[in-house]
Amino acid sequence: MKSTSELTDFYYQELYPSLSELEERRLHILSQLRWYGGMGIVVFLIAILWMKKNFGLFHPLMMGIVMIFVVIASITYRFMTKGYAQDFKARIITPLIGAIDPHLLYNPDFMISQRLFERSDLFQHTIDRYSGNDYVKGSIDGVPIEFSDVHAEYQTRDSKGRTQWHTLFRGLFLVAEFNKTFTSKTLILPDMAQKSFGTLIGGWLQSINFSRDDLIRLDDPEFEKHFVVYGNDPIEARYILTHSMMKRLLEFQRRISHPLFVSFVHNHIHVAIGTGKDLFEPAIFTSLLNFKQAMEYVNTLRNTIGLAEELKLNEKLWSKE
Amino acid sequence: MTTILIIAGVITLIAVLMYNSLIGKKNQVENIFGGVDAVLKKRFDLIPNLVASVERYMEHEKSTLEKVTELRSQAMKPGISDDQKIALDAKLTAALGSISVAIENYPDLKANENVMHLQRSLHEIEEQISAARRAYNQSVTDLNNAIEMFPTNMMASWMGLERKAVFEITVNERQNINVQALFDRS
Repeated sequence: MKSTSELTDFYYQELYPSLSELEERRLHILSQLRWYGGMGIVVFLIAILWMKKNFGLFHPLMMGIVMIFVVIASITYRFMTKGYAQDFKARIITPLIGAIDPHLLYNPDFMISQRLFERSDLFQHTIDRYSGNDYVKGSIDGVPIEFSDVHAEYQTRDSKGRTQWHTLFRGLFLVAEFNKTFTSKTLILPDMAQKSFGTLIGGWLQSINFSRDDLIRLDDPEFEKHFVVYGNDPIEARYILTHSMMKRLLEFQRRISHPLFVSFVHNHIHVAIGTGKDLFEPAIFTSLLNFKQAMEYVNTLRNTIGLAEELKLNEKLWSKE
Repeated sequence: MTTILIIAGVITLIAVLMYNSLIGKKNQVENIFGGVDAVLKKRFDLIPNLVASVERYMEHEKSTLEKVTELRSQAMKPGISDDQKIALDAKLTAALGSISVAIENYPDLKANENVMHLQRSLHEIEEQISAARRAYNQSVTDLNNAIEMFPTNMMASWMGLERKAVFEITVNERQNINVQALFDRS
């Protein structure tokens, strides 16, 4: 697999013609957005002044007007950037993924199946709305791997019967075949309780978590500080989480700076990275040639696809061959 | 009167909870030891095969091979205690480790598919054994802590629970044996 610096070179050299064309379009869209935005604000202010004169500033109708403007603004934004986003994915993200590994398949509109997401058992709430995009599938060093952006939400009703949507998970979700055979379930979650309540009370709180399997305490204090592990087989959990595997997961967590959720179910590793946003979307307000922006695309792709390599999932044991 | 009743109730409740948690910990240790036993048996099943396929080639390692066979038959004797099993396992792991290293020096063996297959199975079982040992050690540590810490220690001594031994694990277990084996040869 190519290194990050090779990919950065690829981004600036091979993709330069596409980048500069897209950059021109971006500037055009930006000026259009400014123009529409300015108009919108003027119309909005006039509407507010008119409301104030006729109904007063705190009239319930005011909420409606604000809502209408927000909806119109977001529809206009989507409409104006849609073609640009599609072009960006076809001309920048697709070749970039091809440069990392030519055998990877990429589909910007597809997502990892909800069944796989639910199989991971990382998020226990029922899912009422499931969406995603930027699906990548293929094999790295003989390890089948797939990932995509995922947005899983659930619904609640308040006392007045209004529905509210809550995000259960938003970020990158990856599934890869694991190099060991196992029948149990092992979950690794960010350690919230121990961080906020300390080892003694936090540890006790974790052990009485009834919705999860048994708490598994591992013999790596640094790992224990960052994660909490639940599983239904204490021996298999340690068979999966060897000392070196715990070290690799810790290193990965240090590099990504987002909450990391990992589960081992059905001979597969499921990794959820809670980035909280949609990745691989084109920048509108910063230049595509901006180094930081470029690094974000390159690094996210390189880190995700490189995860199989980093966790050494290709080191197969005898029984898996 | 009511106060005394409440106090007595609370004390009974605490005693019951302590008793149950100690029993739970003791059973967890036994349960996991069952798992350790199962993977150790897997390794025992593999040893005769390994010895049979390498002994023709490994003239210099005859004594190690004999030791392995001897340790295996000792460990498989019925009625040996858990502590003895733990001690025998450590010796067996060390002896098998030095055989693995020795195999590296015999090109004939390295070319032999059967031996390589056995080697890989052994390696996988070693990983399972290592996991089982770690799980066992954690459960024993939980039990030992409860036996020694206040106030569960009083309940534990009344119940006649005793501290248990853990498997000795060093991260570089294999590595150290390798180096040792190399020095022995030269």
